[in-house]
Amino acid sequence: MTAAAKRAKRFSRMPGDPPRDEMLARMIRVDQAGEYGAKRIYEGQLAVLGQSKDGPVLREMAAVEERHLETFNELMVRRRVRPTVLTPVWHVAGFALGAGTALMGREAAMACTVAVEEVIEEHYADQAVRLEREGDPELTGIVERFGAEEAEHRETALEHDAEKAPGYEPLTAAVKAGSRLAIWLSERV
Amino acid sequence: MSSLDELRSDIVRAMLPHVTFDGWSKAALRAGALDCGEHEDIVERLFPRGLNQAAEVYSVLADEEMADAMEAAGVGEMKVRDRITAAVQLRLEAAENDREAIRRLMSYLAVPGRKLLAARLLMKTVDTMWYAAGDNATDFNYYTKRGLLAGVYGSTVLYWLNDDSEGREATWEFLDRRIGDVMRIPKLQARVRKAAGLLPSPFKVLRVLASRRRAV
Repeated sequence: MTAAAKRAKRFSRMPGDPPRDEMLARMIRVDQAGEYGAKRIYEGQLAVLGQSKDGPVLREMAAVEERHLETFNELMVRRRVRPTVLTPVWHVAGFALGAGTALMGREAAMACTVAVEEVIEEHYADQAVRLEREGDPELTGIVERFGAEEAEHRETALEHDAEKAPGYEPLTAAVKAGSRLAIWLSERV
Repeated sequence: MSSLDELRSDIVRAMLPHVTFDGWSKAALRAGALDCGEHEDIVERLFPRGLNQAAEVYSVLADEEMADAMEAAGVGEMKVRDRITAAVQLRLEAAENDREAIRRLMSYLAVPGRKLLAARLLMKTVDTMWYAAGDNATDFNYYTKRGLLAGVYGSTVLYWLNDDSEGREATWEFLDRRIGDVMRIPKLQARVRKAAGLLPSPFKVLRVLASRRRAV
């Protein structure tokens, strides 16, 4: 099987998958939760590093996440998608993750950004493929645009010494695993 | 709405007068089909999930009519509290002539095996109320708002079913008191938050520690 065929198979709807409306609702729900979590991570980082030399970069990235969140909030209300029940959890967990890594040092904070943005970027790419199949140009456009912006954040974080963080590999692996779990939960709960 | 959906709505609407006498039953549903000029066996095909589906069709229909009535009443110009009051009031006023049918429907839904259906219909109704009131919560407030309104609306319906006052005045006063109860919550929250603000922030302590470590 070619790689393209494998990919197509992976994303085609299978018996037992949720119907189209539920699938789109899940996507909007998880994306809104993701942007909410991202915003909280940056707020956590800024609470520690806001006055340091990385402050402006962090603030710039936080502003982008804020814009993403507003887009999904608006879409969520317009399409009458219920938000995830776990918002209060992401409120605390996002801030704690941002502040926690920032307290470990600026490199660790950047490593955390690399890990999170990498998972989100992957997640948006997956969604874009599935959305093309479902035919939802509005959401597809949003997802593709935001995915590219998240990738920019990852690059920015790498430029700011993310890889010099102590224990870069285990740290990013842990953050990635956590982010994937959060995505899985936010789609469903 | 497809023509089949329309036919379903028409039959359920025609069913209501019969429900008063026959209960939320197949007999009433079949009589509703007859009144619409259809063969009564059509209900077997139109409602494969039977009376549960008929209940769902009725509830959703009433939700949609309420949302339209709210827009016609110009809720956009009102305060949030008045919007929600208007929602409940319009919903009940539209059902004024079907009070007995609704009483029978409530007892049909009160059977333990139908609790989930009853809860789903109630949630759908309060959800429609909040959206029609222009609510745009996308955090946990989405759930607290709907949960609180479910309590207000559910108890108001029960009060309304037993209210014999002129123009249902007693019900609207009851509704006003229940919403008043709910409106006290934000005030209490503000008091708690103010009290919590007096405690030292645990985060400030950490920040001081971090800046010291960097200074070393």
